Amino acid sequence: MRSSVSYILSTTTSEPNMSHPDYEQFSHDHAALLILVKQIGSCLKTKTFNKFYERISKVNTVKITDSTGQVRNILIRYIKEHPVENNDWGDFQTHRRLLGLISLGRYDSQQELNEICRVHESLKVKYTSTLFDSRCILFGVNDEREYPSDNSSPEEESSSSSKLSVDEPVSEPKESDSKPRDKFTTPTNFKARAIFYNEADPCTDLENQLNEFINSLFWVLESKRLERSREKIERVSLLLAPFEKKDFVGLDMDSRNNKKRCNGRMTKHLGDLYLQAGLLSESLGYYHSAVETLKSVNDWLWLGAAYEGLCAASALVWYPNIQRNVSLHRNASLPEGSPKRSNSISTPMENTKRDIINMLPPDEISKRYREAIIHYSKYQNAGIIETEASFKAARISVEQNHSLQAASFLQNVVFINLTLSEQEKIQRFETLSDLYMEIGFIRKAAFCQRLAATRHVSPQNPTPNWNKCYSLILQSFPGHKISLDPTEMSTIHSPCGWPSLQIQLLQELVVASKRMGHSALATRHMTFLLQTMWQHLSSSEQKEFAIQLQSLSSQCEGAPVPLVLDTGIVIPPANLSNVPICSGFNLRSLQPHLQPRKIETFKRDLGPFLFTPIKFGTLERSSSKPQSKMDFLWVENDVCEVTLKLVNPLPFELKVSNMRLLTSGVVFESIPETVVLPSDTPTSLTLNGTPKESGELEIQGYSTHTLGVKSNCRLRCMPNFLPCYSIEVIPVLPTMEIKTSLPQSATFSSFQNFENVVTSASISLYNGESTECTITLTNNSHVPIEMLEVSIQSVLELSLQDQIFKWSQENLESQLPLMPNGTASLTLYLYSAANFLAAGYGPNELSSGVFGSSHGSSLMSMSAGPSSLPSRLNSPIYSAMGSSFHGTRRNELNSSFRSSNSGQSSMTTTGYRSPGALILPQHAASTVVEGQLQLRYSGGAGLRAGYCRSSSIFITLEMLPSLQVTNWDVLPAETSSQFYLVLDIANMTSQEMELYYTPTKHMLIEGHESCRVPVPVNRCPLSKLTKLYMDQNSGMNNRLDLDKICSDHIANLVDLRWQLLSLNTRGKATLKGITLTPNMLDIVRMSPLNWEVSVNGDFLKPQEEINCDAGDCLSVRISICNSLEKPLQHLILSIQFYQDHRNGTHNYRLETRVVIIGCAKKILPVLEPQSKAWHACNVLFLTPGQYKMDIQCSTSDALSTNQPILGPCGHSWRYIPAVDVNVHI
Amino acid sequence: MAVCAAIIGKDNSPKYFTCLNPDEELGFQYKVLSSLDVIEEKLNSGNKSVSDTRELYLGMLYSLEKHKIYGYVSNTKIKFIIVIDSTNTSLRDNEIRSMFRKLHSIYADNVCNPFYIPDEPITSKSFDKSVKHIISGI
Repeated sequence: MRSSVSYILSTTTSEPNMSHPDYEQFSHDHAALLILVKQIGSCLKTKTFNKFYERISKVNTVKITDSTGQVRNILIRYIKEHPVENNDWGDFQTHRRLLGLISLGRYDSQQELNEICRVHESLKVKYTSTLFDSRCILFGVNDEREYPSDNSSPEEESSSSSKLSVDEPVSEPKESDSKPRDKFTTPTNFKARAIFYNEADPCTDLENQLNEFINSLFWVLESKRLERSREKIERVSLLLAPFEKKDFVGLDMDSRNNKKRCNGRMTKHLGDLYLQAGLLSESLGYYHSAVETLKSVNDWLWLGAAYEGLCAASALVWYPNIQRNVSLHRNASLPEGSPKRSNSISTPMENTKRDIINMLPPDEISKRYREAIIHYSKYQNAGIIETEASFKAARISVEQNHSLQAASFLQNVVFINLTLSEQEKIQRFETLSDLYMEIGFIRKAAFCQRLAATRHVSPQNPTPNWNKCYSLILQSFPGHKISLDPTEMSTIHSPCGWPSLQIQLLQELVVASKRMGHSALATRHMTFLLQTMWQHLSSSEQKEFAIQLQSLSSQCEGAPVPLVLDTGIVIPPANLSNVPICSGFNLRSLQPHLQPRKIETFKRDLGPFLFTPIKFGTLERSSSKPQSKMDFLWVENDVCEVTLKLVNPLPFELKVSNMRLLTSGVVFESIPETVVLPSDTPTSLTLNGTPKESGELEIQGYSTHTLGVKSNCRLRCMPNFLPCYSIEVIPVLPTMEIKTSLPQSATFSSFQNFENVVTSASISLYNGESTECTITLTNNSHVPIEMLEVSIQSVLELSLQDQIFKWSQENLESQLPLMPNGTASLTLYLYSAANFLAAGYGPNELSSGVFGSSHGSSLMSMSAGPSSLPSRLNSPIYSAMGSSFHGTRRNELNSSFRSSNSGQSSMTTTGYRSPGALILPQHAASTVVEGQLQLRYSGGAGLRAGYCRSSSIFITLEMLPSLQVTNWDVLPAETSSQFYLVLDIANMTSQEMELYYTPTKHMLIEGHESCRVPVPVNRCPLSKLTKLYMDQNSGMNNRLDLDKICSDHIANLVDLRWQLLSLNTRGKATLKGITLTPNMLDIVRMSPLNWEVSVNGDFLKPQEEINCDAGDCLSVRISICNSLEKPLQHLILSIQFYQDHRNGTHNYRLETRVVIIGCAKKILPVLEPQSKAWHACNVLFLTPGQYKMDIQCSTSDALSTNQPILGPCGHSWRYIPAVDVNVHI
Repeated sequence: MAVCAAIIGKDNSPKYFTCLNPDEELGFQYKVLSSLDVIEEKLNSGNKSVSDTRELYLGMLYSLEKHKIYGYVSNTKIKFIIVIDSTNTSLRDNEIRSMFRKLHSIYADNVCNPFYIPDEPITSKSFDKSVKHIISGI
């Protein structure tokens, strides 16, 4: 657009140049009357002035009826500053002339009044060449009444015409005329019209005053217009632009060309005047003809002006409503000088539009403007005119909605080379940016704003203004897509802005705010830069900015609060969540022993399947997502933990202090942490805190203090985290410290869940030994413990467990409640319970006495040995097999096995002491029993909420073998009320053991040796067994019950105590669980039959021997009495003799040696309770020798096949012991 | 010979930027960024008149004291911008047009690369090399 001839045509700039561009001009201002509104004197407050200026500005269009009755629409433009040089261009474009002056001043004293008047007069002098009229508005002190100045003095040349033609009455002077003038008077040389107001007055007639003033201006103008239009067009002098004066020196002024030039210029001037006077169509005509004339003489400058006039007049017709957009000036930073008036040129002109000849159509306007600008550009000195024209053209393009056209006009502005003050340059950029903004070129606007900002602080600028620079940079942010809120910057869909530019801008902003002296802002912006631009910064930049931030924050710490600037802009807080980077955030459950548990646990119904390894992951994908609600609980007043994983991305060590948790919900006291993070190494950190209330707690993030900046890093602002975590806090629970009197165990085995184990205890005990363990419980919280439950958990069988661990719940409960700092003690009794009977065989095993115990069963007569020796250890396998077939149902195969084995047994069991090595059972090693003593306790509010805590003591009990009963058997005693329990007892220890097996008898056993002891035991009374006899139909169970009753009977009566002499430990062994064979049972329990045997009429005493000679006839009488409470049926009482060879064989074949006279058997169909039956026979021994008489009574199974096999009915009872008969010669 | 070339995504974020003198990069970025306003305006007004047979080449966006900025927009609203020195009169419109076409074609090639995620800044070295090749006009 610019022509390159500009340098050729224009002279050097010694000429007076219009050095003060008015960027705010609209093309409409060509038609306006220029009025300067000036604040004078120091008393008037700027605020008041601005208020009045606003008010005055509203009177920007006045309708005046001229002398021909035509209504003229007069526009007025008010300005606050007007450099007097601009008046010089008044010939070129008349709207540049200052026509009116309004000054506002306030006075308190005569002196001040004088001063105001003086300044007003001097202003009048200053603009005297163009000024038509002036007003001085004076504000008096409060008690002052308004009064007019008596000497109204319109300007010199206009006084006659304007005064006379004022058609509106002047309203002000009337009422105040009469009033006596107070102490203040205007000085006599004050020749302006003064308007007096009280400062507090509403000043209702101000608008009227203004109207009157504008009228006076108009009439002066009108007279000038008429005067000019009447001039002979040939005679006019050449009108000159200020810089042209030299150009025409020495030119022939009378040349035809020059005449034309004069003529054209004058025509254009007339156009200006007509336009100002409100005569649009006439002015268009003049402009049009001026264009024709000037074009022909190549007067480019004035041709441009004529074009511009043409455009302005046309635009006024087309777009009467172009207004100064007030919203443009939202920036408080704009200089004061920008007038904030709004044009309200609202006369509808649609009907006249088409009528006016010479008017340019809208498209032509910008074309002509372009031409005008090109013509202007040919003159270097017309730079300002060109600039202003560009702005005006751009504004019209904006109105026409031609953004690109507007942009090209604006772009042209930048090229115009002007020698401007920095302030004006800045203003130029600001105006540009405003206009760019208006056409939606926000990036371009931002670019201009940034340029303006840099101009404010450029080295050429004598008065750098960092505040304005700062606010301009801030304004350019939207154009660069920077939002001051870091959350908005980080929650971007995609990075839209240009990072490198954003970084530079932010850096500039930091510098500006620093230079402004607002170090808090500098810190804030630096933090923002680091936070939002982190990913776009190189690592060296990151480091550099971090160090910068550190130094900035040393002046003013950054805090996460919004900063409010003086201009009202709020800078939201910026939080550093990138330094350090948090890569993990986990809430921790309390330590297991402190975790709250529900006191009552209701079993949920999980259906028939207790556990399924199949996870329906594919179906319930959502469930695998991390949950923000924690599934564990925290406890009020307990220290709770959150672990963070932090990474310091900076290449130097970073100190992060005052790290806390950010929470909402219940009151939470966070304990600040300080950590020094080495460079680039993930570091774990635990943040602690204590909830002070119960309820829902939300953890939203954490706060840091690093690089001098306090930040609240909220999880919702950080990627890869849930927005917050919530956790339930339950009411306060007590805590308890637990100590035991026993030493701690060295290791735990992997036994159940020992996570809540707080302490442990270990002890070694010999089997049968017992000890006490004192557990001390101390309440170390502030809440009394009101509930305490003790239970033991182990893998042991319940009954055994109860044997080993014992305590007194009552004793414990008596110590409750346990007050804070109180102590309770719990005694745990430990007993090393073990199976003293040689272990390793099931309880159902009938383990002993199978072979040797019988006193000559009829079926085993051939193999019967010396009897009654424990034989179990010799043939454990076969005994197991044989035992199950024991009784009357033995088969032949088994008996053959037995016979061979029993022979062996008799060989080995000769002595009472056998070497230990052979005997020691394989389970001799010590066993370790582990148990957890679980203490569930609660108190206070937590108890009422249904929660408790659970702590455990891990108890390791090593059970050392002490003694073991390797074998046992029963022998009939001398009296029928007792029997002997013969026990093989092995000392499993290496110490010498003293064994007390009866209250009076004891015995020493060497280490690892065994011995055999007989223990007299009372037989099991029938009273214990009656139930069994009564109930015949329960079969197998009865048999087992019988077994059990008898074994209990023995266990209760036999009291084995041992003492290890060297260790001084003593213990007790029990025979609990001893198993008995049916034959043994017969001995153990009392016989249901009472026997009375008499030989030759003498009652036989137990153990008594009968001596007789061969050939003697012995009369034996046997009577039995049923001591049961039920009748016995089908009894067979029999008598039999045999010889015991004492080598395991009994000889029953005594046909040649003994003769029984009478019946050897007697069948008793029924024996009623307590009734007696008897049988008698005679016996004759044929040969001398030792005989034994075996008397037995059996139920006949032949007769009662339907009877249970093992019941008392299919059984036989013997008279024990068998009676010895010695037959002598 | 161009001094600077830029590729800008449809959301106006920079995808690729290069200039002959790396020291001036920031200055060029400002200029290119502000030229986007013109492109957007041209696109908006262009769509009104011409339907879909839009000329991709936008011509000169605006000229500065030292540089002229040319624009080209693909149908997917990817903007290509080339800045040339205004003293360089040897470059004519046709040459610039062909430069843009080359740029467009190598950009299309780059998008075809399966390792390039569309809408990410282009960091490929070979792409950079070929762009430099184009703008230096060899």
